[in-house]
Amino acid sequence: MVTLEKMAHLAQESRFDSLGPAVSIDPEKLGALGEGTRHDVCASTFSPQSPLLPGICHAFAHDGRCVSLFKTLYTNRCGHQCNYCSNATNCSRKTRAFSYTPEELVGITLSLYRSNYIEGLFLSSGSGRNEDCVMEKMVETARILREKHGFNGYIHLKVLPGADRSHIQEAMELADRVSINLEAASASHMNEMSSTKDYESDILQRQRYIRDLMSKANLPAGQTTQLVVGAGKESDEEIFRRVLYEYQEIGVRRAYYSAFSPQKGTPFANREPQPLWREHRLYQMDWLYRIYRFHPQEIEHAFDENGFLQNSDPKMAIARELMDSPVDPNTASYQELLRVPGIGPRSAQRIVALRQRQPVAGKAELASLGVRIKRAAPFLKINGWRDATLEMWST
Amino acid sequence: MRVPENFLFYLSAHEDCTQRLLARAKGLVAEDLEVSHDAELVRLRKMVSSVQLEVHRMKAFVRLKAFGPHLLYGYLKPRHRIGAHVCDHFARRNPKTIVVLGNGRESWISLCSDGKILRDHTGGIAETLEQLRSNLPCSDERWDPHDIWRIYIDSQYCPLRKNTAAFRRRMPRRDQDATGLRLVQNKNGVTLDDFFGKD
Repeated sequence: MVTLEKMAHLAQESRFDSLGPAVSIDPEKLGALGEGTRHDVCASTFSPQSPLLPGICHAFAHDGRCVSLFKTLYTNRCGHQCNYCSNATNCSRKTRAFSYTPEELVGITLSLYRSNYIEGLFLSSGSGRNEDCVMEKMVETARILREKHGFNGYIHLKVLPGADRSHIQEAMELADRVSINLEAASASHMNEMSSTKDYESDILQRQRYIRDLMSKANLPAGQTTQLVVGAGKESDEEIFRRVLYEYQEIGVRRAYYSAFSPQKGTPFANREPQPLWREHRLYQMDWLYRIYRFHPQEIEHAFDENGFLQNSDPKMAIARELMDSPVDPNTASYQELLRVPGIGPRSAQRIVALRQRQPVAGKAELASLGVRIKRAAPFLKINGWRDATLEMWST
Repeated sequence: MRVPENFLFYLSAHEDCTQRLLARAKGLVAEDLEVSHDAELVRLRKMVSSVQLEVHRMKAFVRLKAFGPHLLYGYLKPRHRIGAHVCDHFARRNPKTIVVLGNGRESWISLCSDGKILRDHTGGIAETLEQLRSNLPCSDERWDPHDIWRIYIDSQYCPLRKNTAAFRRRMPRRDQDATGLRLVQNKNGVTLDDFFGKD
């Protein structure tokens, strides 16, 4: 048996200062810089850097969204003129400018992490007076956390548009994940959204830097990106094509979508807010490509003639277009099963595993394997039997 | 697949697990539980899943308070026998820091030192902390992380995205109670402050 005295003795041998620097916290700053990342989407993803500590610390805000990371701006001062952003210089509604110091951020992060409020840090920023100076401070924050305090938590650093390659490299050496926001689906949409960001050199070129540096740096959770959906009046199909490029050419781990919501005082203040369902349908489309491994040509069937997704499940829309005969779960391949609405990767795996032992006898069995029978039944034929559909009566 | 390879660990931690059920499960592999329709195996699968879910939620919802640089403590009263497992998790996360989790009846103590976990299981948390405090240096005055959290979480609120149903689904009252989260508003919701008095 270990005595409490022995434990107390061993605990005092720590070589890291786990408490962090003693700095004072300005509540107004904390609130203002936190608010600056309200529309940034993130998730702490399993990071092989610390395999013993899978990222499962979830906290949920009152809107039901997971906030397992301390998500904040380093500074809300920004030199860009983005028509959708309330921190931009062309926003008529001026907010007080705040900046953290690396020590302040380290202190807050360690305090929240030790108490299990967060799983890690998500650090974004306005460009300040100079994006490289701000990037330097952001990297410094991560360095102090990792090297001085032995911080094992998750760190996601945003790369600022136009940031120097050397700062990107430093960020990649310290973070679990880095990302640069695309914001727009193309250069022309970006021109409409911002007069100061060059889509090709400030954003795409930085993404390529990250891709090229990935071979040298250990970036366990890879690079990601985010788009503001609907600010530039782009179609879902345009977004899909851009995201395909991102997955195939840039190698981003995943894309995030944030529905545009107009901010007071910005040039886009009077534009229509985008419905949240649009964001949801884009995630479903994204899921079909990344997880279900649908071919892009299959996914294109989900778009209407104007290139938009309807407010309905894109997988169902694709199945209605492309599945001309029902699937028998006893003979279908894993890929064929995945194309049936109501069957996901896990239930498809279970079906394949089950039929190696015994054939699938009926719908009740499928339901117990996690198949959503109501959705799947019209597309299934089990042992020669299938549910009647309206189409059967139409001829 | 959802059933983990080490499902026996989770099964044995279930509050209703018996020797007979354990003996039944010992000859099985995870895939047997995953795809079986046998009523008892389905029950075992649900028991494993129930423990996994509680472990997940306890790791997420427990809030720790610091006493100096080397001691963290928090309220925990799980339904299943997972106290030591959850305590070890926080000890690994905070090496060289003693982690004490518990309630009025029992407490779990873990310390991760040089990659090894030292642990103990003893009486109520108040007595355990009393003993440890006499052997550890006191903290210098720091801010309360809960105050920081309150300001931060308010800053993240988007009225357009308000979804209280999702919030309730993801933070069930029962699991809030088990970790003494201060979100609990009812009279019976026990929080750490009820044990130690407000600072």
